[in-house]
Amino acid sequence: MGRLAGGRPMTAVPTLVVPLDGSSKALAALPVARGLSHLMGATVTLVHVSDEALSPDELLDRIKLSSTEVRGLIIEQRTGSPADAIVNAAAGRHAALIVMCAPARSDAMYPLGSVPADVLRKAKCPVVLVPVSRGRRPWTLRQLALPHDGTPTSAVAIAPTADLATRAGAELVVIHVAMPSASRPTEPGTLAVPRYADQLHHELPMWAREFLERVRSASHPADMGKLRLVVAQGDISAAILEFAQRNASDLIALAWRGCLEPERAQTIRRVMRGACCPVIIFRVQS
Amino acid sequence: MSDRETAGASVGIESPGSVDIELSLAPVSDPAWLIVEEGLTLAREHEIESIFAIANGHIGTRAALEEGSRLSQAETFAAGVYVDVPPSGLGPTLAVLPDWTHLEIAVDGQRLSMESGRVLEHRRILDLRQAVLWREWRQQDPSGRTTRIRFLRLASLQDRHALLQSVTVTAENYSGQIELVACLALPETRNKRAQLTISRDAAIVVMLAGETRIAMAMRSIPPPTREAQKPSRERAVDRLEERWSWEASLGESVCLHRVVTVYTSRDQVDPAGSAQLEVTKILDRGVSSLVRAHADAWSRRWSIGDVRIAGDDQAQRALRFAVYHLTAAANPADEHASIGARGLTGGAYRGHVFWDTEIYMLPFYLLTQPAAARALLMYRYHTLDAARRKARAFGYMGALYAWESADTGEEATPQEIVAPDGSVVRILTGEQEHHVSADIAYAVWQYWRATGDDDFMVEAGCDILVETARFWASRAWMEADGRAHIRAVIGPDEYHETVDDNAYTNAMARWNLDRAADAMAILKRERPAEWEQSSSRLALEDDEPAAWRRTAAALVTGFHPDTGLFEQFEGYFGLEEIDIPSHQSGAAPLDVFLGPRRTRQTKAIKQADVVALCALLWDEWPRAVHEANFNYYEPRTAHGSSLSPSTHALVAARLGDGERALRYLRQAEEIDLANYMGNAAGGVHMGSLAGLWQAAVLGVAGIRIREDGIALDPHLPPGWTEMRCSVQWRRQVVKLTFAANPVRIGVEVEGSGELTIAIIDGPSCRAHSGRPYSVGLEGSAWGAWRGVDQ
Repeated sequence: MGRLAGGRPMTAVPTLVVPLDGSSKALAALPVARGLSHLMGATVTLVHVSDEALSPDELLDRIKLSSTEVRGLIIEQRTGSPADAIVNAAAGRHAALIVMCAPARSDAMYPLGSVPADVLRKAKCPVVLVPVSRGRRPWTLRQLALPHDGTPTSAVAIAPTADLATRAGAELVVIHVAMPSASRPTEPGTLAVPRYADQLHHELPMWAREFLERVRSASHPADMGKLRLVVAQGDISAAILEFAQRNASDLIALAWRGCLEPERAQTIRRVMRGACCPVIIFRVQS
Repeated sequence: MSDRETAGASVGIESPGSVDIELSLAPVSDPAWLIVEEGLTLAREHEIESIFAIANGHIGTRAALEEGSRLSQAETFAAGVYVDVPPSGLGPTLAVLPDWTHLEIAVDGQRLSMESGRVLEHRRILDLRQAVLWREWRQQDPSGRTTRIRFLRLASLQDRHALLQSVTVTAENYSGQIELVACLALPETRNKRAQLTISRDAAIVVMLAGETRIAMAMRSIPPPTREAQKPSRERAVDRLEERWSWEASLGESVCLHRVVTVYTSRDQVDPAGSAQLEVTKILDRGVSSLVRAHADAWSRRWSIGDVRIAGDDQAQRALRFAVYHLTAAANPADEHASIGARGLTGGAYRGHVFWDTEIYMLPFYLLTQPAAARALLMYRYHTLDAARRKARAFGYMGALYAWESADTGEEATPQEIVAPDGSVVRILTGEQEHHVSADIAYAVWQYWRATGDDDFMVEAGCDILVETARFWASRAWMEADGRAHIRAVIGPDEYHETVDDNAYTNAMARWNLDRAADAMAILKRERPAEWEQSSSRLALEDDEPAAWRRTAAALVTGFHPDTGLFEQFEGYFGLEEIDIPSHQSGAAPLDVFLGPRRTRQTKAIKQADVVALCALLWDEWPRAVHEANFNYYEPRTAHGSSLSPSTHALVAARLGDGERALRYLRQAEEIDLANYMGNAAGGVHMGSLAGLWQAAVLGVAGIRIREDGIALDPHLPPGWTEMRCSVQWRRQVVKLTFAANPVRIGVEVEGSGELTIAIIDGPSCRAHSGRPYSVGLEGSAWGAWRGVDQ
């Protein structure tokens, strides 16, 4: 049963929405969607947005897939603004996820492109952004990287992430990055790298245990089989990307507080621009 | 496998005194005495359990939810009971005792849980004044029934073996079947040879923790409804359960009390028999009697220990919180256990004892509960042999106390650990942090001069002073420059290891040597017969004290007369400067970012080192020296230790720097009580709490112990309009009031005899009980003391 959208079990078979704009690059999302649908027992709904009324053959031709390749998938054609059409299609089907490719852009201000950014802002379900560079390679979830800043707000992303990891039998690596310039946390219930470490050989293992226990309790009821904590320091996005690349992570899970403005949300923008693997984004209440 | 037994009607009801169901007890109304946590933030549960823990110096219990949760750590500890089975390589750890607090409530078969239905109200209240933990909970179950539950929990300060739990259950908007299940459960890490028995008089658990037998006996006073008087009892492999059920009428409240007694083989040869006997006695006397005695004991402690601040509610609350936990951590009757870094509030730091006890905590006990101070020093006396062995193992004479110790005094610091990245990291503190021996000697001397307890000195104190002096005499090496040096140590600043001539270590060693020599001279003069016995016992040679003085005089301290600065260690002034604020803004310790190697290359220091020296030996140097060193080292301190802010608050206060004193007081106040760092998850920081008390009493009030009384040097920080505190000097209790505007000091003495009350650089008076005294600041100078006729 899919649990990701709203965290509530659904009575119907869940579906993952995959927007295809007709470009070859967009097809990079499909293998990831297939992999996720297998884990979640979900269907895949391909959505193409065009103001033209296309016949089934024309539609297949447009999205560059053969009838064999779409066997078992649902295909939907929508009109209007692409972002709105995608979000509406997902909402209409109570989609568990939207899985779409994120074209690489050098534009630091808009690293995603306007459609993925709009989808991200408006979607009611989590969004998986797949780097175009993945191509059409098959995708399997073996390791999932979850950056976690220790705040209860971000902890909302733990349960659905843990659920995915458990379904896949994948290792969940929680990454906590200590930043030299970080200001003191203000959110009650935050657990960051300890401010005071009277004796490091006691303090750090104790802190790590506490951090993981909090993660486990937030992942309830998922049974966290393979859970590991990695503590890095420095720039958060650089640490996340470096870990994911070095360890060949299959998915990065990010908790996102809803801003994409250039002067804010630096981490998510940089990770989405630089990730070599898909990134699943959970919108959390700020 | 279970044994189902149905208790007869005689259980818990025979003794007339036990049928006093309604305790006349409620939280105090003054919020300045309460720590309150509204609602439930599960992520913070471990912190809350520590902050709201109850203890009495013998037993401590974390404030876990009675029914448990995904994160609950329902742990109870006994002072001095450690285990290292299986060996961890990290030293012994405080043993976890059976959980006596677990209670489950079901309404018409539905177990009440905060995770199902709706929480209408939930709060935990730590009543600092009465040392009672309250929990108030209103839960609406999925069927819409609202149940109000009120829990009470205390660890008796009068009878340190006794614990009490009470629960009152009210069926607010329904009538129906209520079931209450009370458990006594073995810890998960239990020794498999535990025994659980149910007798006519009590449910008893006996378990082994290392070599220590622990026994818990429980008796319940059941709800006084006809149905509920016959609980069913069930014994499983790892728990004992008592079940009561009754048909509750609409609005009916039913109350249950559980009395638990705890004995260990440290207390009694037959802990199970003692626990069973004690629990029966308590029920015979009545639960109200237990509660009254507990409240009275705490009232007596607060009459001396309370610090009252007008004008700063946050400081007031934090100071009372500190005094509560300090009082709850100590047991004047136990000379074989000390207070670990987190007291009995959590298992962090494995319950190990550090210099925190003597330098940070002991002054509180010295001035408010000298018997507790004595017991803490006797622990060091009883572990002196282990210190002697450590010294010999390192090739030194005398006594080198363990950096981290548990029950035996043997060194418990691991030599290495495996870091998260898999690398093996050497731990050098156990090998190199030697100042702890001087710290203990310092505490011995302070205790002796403050209390006049010559008996302690001749029986135990002089052994500690002599053996630590011998250690320093062997540790310091005379070198070609004609000076004595102490090389390859770690001072309080642990960012810099294997340093030479750490100023703190050398100055405290020098002080240790001189005071040991002084002690010998004083005892020889004033207690010649006992001195003869002591010196014979210690094989003290005639010229040893003189040799100590020579070594002391030759020791390098790192003091530069031209600048008035102490060089923290040889070569410190040549290290790289680093801008601490730009590298961290309070988020995490500096060395985590820079790495230990890079940090060592800089002047960044972990915590008060020279500043701590100034605080301890304030009278050794003029104020200008303290000011110069504080101004030099304070900006270079990263405060990576929880001990650091309070020391800085103390020194800033003494220097009259109210702004900085207040800033550091705030930092110290927030270490456990702030809700955004998670610091307290493994237990409250005992050293930091004690440091906060010191900052107020020894810093802001500027109280100093003298041979003939006390001296005062108050500097109230901005916003504090008045401060009141009490200290005990010899057999007298001195009640002090410091007012800010106008600046006045009021003194009242209780007890027999006289003492001198002196203002630093000001007038003094001989004060005796029965007559208040006061003095005011007139312009820039103090006026004369006036005795106020009553």
